[in-house]
Amino acid sequence: MNKILRTLIPFDIAKGLAITGKHFAKVFFTANRRKVRYHIVSEYPEVVAKIQPRFRGRLTLLKDEQGEIKCVCCLACEKICPTQVITIEKGKKEGRKMPFPVRYDFEMERCIFCEFCVESCGFDSIILNHQFELAAYNREDFSLGMEGLGQNMFEPSPVGKFSVADD
Amino acid sequence: MFKNEEMEINLGPQHPSTHGVLRVKLRLDGETITHCQPVIGYLHRGVEKICENQTFFQGQVWTDRMDYCSAVANNLGWAEANEKLFGITVPRRAQYIRTMLNEFNRLASHLIWLATHALDIGAMTVFLYAFREREDILDMNEAFCGSRLTTTAFRIGGLREDLPPGFEKMVKTFLAKFPTCLEEYENLLSENRIWKKRTVGVAKLNAEDAIAMGVTGPVLRAAGVPYDIRKAFPYAAYAEMDFEIPTRTEADTYARYLVRMAEMRQSARIIQQCMDGMPEGPVMAKLPKILRSEVNEVYHATESPKGEIGYYLVGEKGALNPYRFHVRAPGFINLQSLPKMAEGGLIADIVAAIGTLDIVLGEIDR
Repeated sequence: MNKILRTLIPFDIAKGLAITGKHFAKVFFTANRRKVRYHIVSEYPEVVAKIQPRFRGRLTLLKDEQGEIKCVCCLACEKICPTQVITIEKGKKEGRKMPFPVRYDFEMERCIFCEFCVESCGFDSIILNHQFELAAYNREDFSLGMEGLGQNMFEPSPVGKFSVADD
Repeated sequence: MFKNEEMEINLGPQHPSTHGVLRVKLRLDGETITHCQPVIGYLHRGVEKICENQTFFQGQVWTDRMDYCSAVANNLGWAEANEKLFGITVPRRAQYIRTMLNEFNRLASHLIWLATHALDIGAMTVFLYAFREREDILDMNEAFCGSRLTTTAFRIGGLREDLPPGFEKMVKTFLAKFPTCLEEYENLLSENRIWKKRTVGVAKLNAEDAIAMGVTGPVLRAAGVPYDIRKAFPYAAYAEMDFEIPTRTEADTYARYLVRMAEMRQSARIIQQCMDGMPEGPVMAKLPKILRSEVNEVYHATESPKGEIGYYLVGEKGALNPYRFHVRAPGFINLQSLPKMAEGGLIADIVAAIGTLDIVLGEIDR
């Protein structure tokens, strides 16, 4: 008898509908409030995405207070890199005891953002910044170096316009 | 006039419910499957060979990319296999953090399994709800190691950094709401008549066949064999944890669903215990700067969300890289039971059979 009733009256379906209905009502009736607690999805391109402090983004070279490059060409990052994306050319600069990187090339298209290079660096001369919007139109834009205006190793990569509101 | 002919069709490799690039050759008699053969290798990258050409330290990044749904569990296996090879003892705090993150990863992996498996069978709602909770776990991954999916979470000898500030609060908020979420999924699915029609008695694999084929993980436990490496050969801090191994005896898709749901509850329990009993101290053992191996071989198995993941490493004298590296991937071996599950069943049920195995092709093809 019980089984027949359960077959005839769809309790199970009603249970499921009650859950979805509850969630719908929660969001629907609080949508216009200033503090929306139940929204899970963020409006990403318009609202800046929240990033944790340890986020691993693009490799960046650092300079010290005098504007000198901190890197001393120990080649530790070049050796540890699992995908061999870093190429450093050693050189010398007048008035500087430590070696000076003449070239510091970074092939971003192969980078897997593992942060081994930063970990291996004993001079704190590189970090991974918090940038994740790294798309570009040309393949050449992924070859980063110390020179160039838009894509160099010291500044964040240029980010294109993404929002309809910006146009 | 009508001849009784068998028809051969391909399922995949671009079929969305084959969980990647799995191709299954099917021979059909009407709607019944008479022959089933999985074809793999579309995602082969040669991870084992790459790792043989890289140092022990670098190899970890490739284990992330094998089973990308449970990268932390893969990292743990790799780190522990290497620690076994070099005879390194890991600090206790690091063990606890590893255990906790591994269980979080099990939750994330089981949630993505629940989401995609339900979606394959036709329950769209669970997909959205499960991904909502998985997002919190990925946020915790990001807070701990800086990446969400390809984590590279551990290092040989311990951890790179301690837990970030605010991590405890994240764990507490998650654990407070997670049991309610699990109840929600169960309310949506467990009693649902469509779900039961699609899963009860479908894709059976009894214990004998499962053991003969080397199947591990929830698929084996749903057949009534209480084999879990966390209990059988405890690693990390599992020896100090109090948890149960959920088993079922029905050995069908529905039983596997129940086993995985019960496992998620146990994982939450382990995480709670890790948080309560977290010891103080360093998180990294003292290591030589360059790891050079001796002539030695090591096999280390851990319980990944999919089953037993084993790393086999052979060391050469004075070498920086392993002489031989092999992965016993749980998905690869579990997939071999697909013909046994699917043959004799209906073609509509093969989607359930693939989903219930919880395969990730990145791991199978390697």
